[in-house]
Amino acid sequence: MAAASRSGGVVQEVAKLSVEQLQAVKEQIDAELSVLQDSVGSIRTAANRFEMAASALNNLSLQKEGQQMLVPLTASLYVPGVLENVDNVLVDVGTGYFIEKSLPEGKDYCDRKINFLKANHDKLVEVASEKRSAAEQVSLVLQAKMRSSAAPSEQ
Amino acid sequence: MAAAKKELQQQLETQVSALSKIQKDITKNHQVRRQYTIQHGENEMVQKELELLDDEANVFKLIGPVLVKQDLVEAKANVSKRIEYITAELKRLDVTLKNLEESQTSKREEVMKLQQRIQAGNPGKGRP
Repeated sequence: MAAASRSGGVVQEVAKLSVEQLQAVKEQIDAELSVLQDSVGSIRTAANRFEMAASALNNLSLQKEGQQMLVPLTASLYVPGVLENVDNVLVDVGTGYFIEKSLPEGKDYCDRKINFLKANHDKLVEVASEKRSAAEQVSLVLQAKMRSSAAPSEQ
Repeated sequence: MAAAKKELQQQLETQVSALSKIQKDITKNHQVRRQYTIQHGENEMVQKELELLDDEANVFKLIGPVLVKQDLVEAKANVSKRIEYITAELKRLDVTLKNLEESQTSKREEVMKLQQRIQAGNPGKGRP
């Protein structure tokens, strides 16, 4: 956040720093950036899971009661079963609580979660792109400094 | 002179180890706080979901491997109590963190002072 707020004056601020300080700043920004990117990735996987759950609900709504099916006990062992209830689903809302919901309610839950995750995802992407531009500016200044400190005798 | 210098060194060592202990406590504090923050967010999400429910909605709690049916009112009370507890815990952590950071700054100053004194003592070795 601090980098985002100072990114306007970042060039002037950064120009005053020494090469070592610049390297430290760059490392810090890079670390923050990688944390942000990890968060973006995990939000994406979470949103995918909810999308999969929503499509599973969709499939379930197409089935009728009494439908024969195979229930997976392990990846390779299935037992026959009968679909007994296609109207209600149990939703895991976190911290060990489960809520019985009807199919449309369950779908609504998934949609709400997906929207929530999308909003957070967009915010994170914005912050990450700000960080990335800050990192680029810092590395530009760093390169310029290194060049000017490497070749002062030739000029 | 040598004894005084040795004593200074010893003081420096104890202060440095105290400083590193404080720093360790601070990292621990950060870790615990992160855990509580995550739990806080999760509980708030659950609370929001519970608030959206009708009175006759069925709520279950996972206890070990079994789902136990729970009263909605009870579940709401449980979640809000947990949020309260976590908030209190986060506040407590904030206070301890502040104290730790203060003592970190003062310790750091002490260490710097000691280092300066040792360095000032070094060139004075030749003097009686």
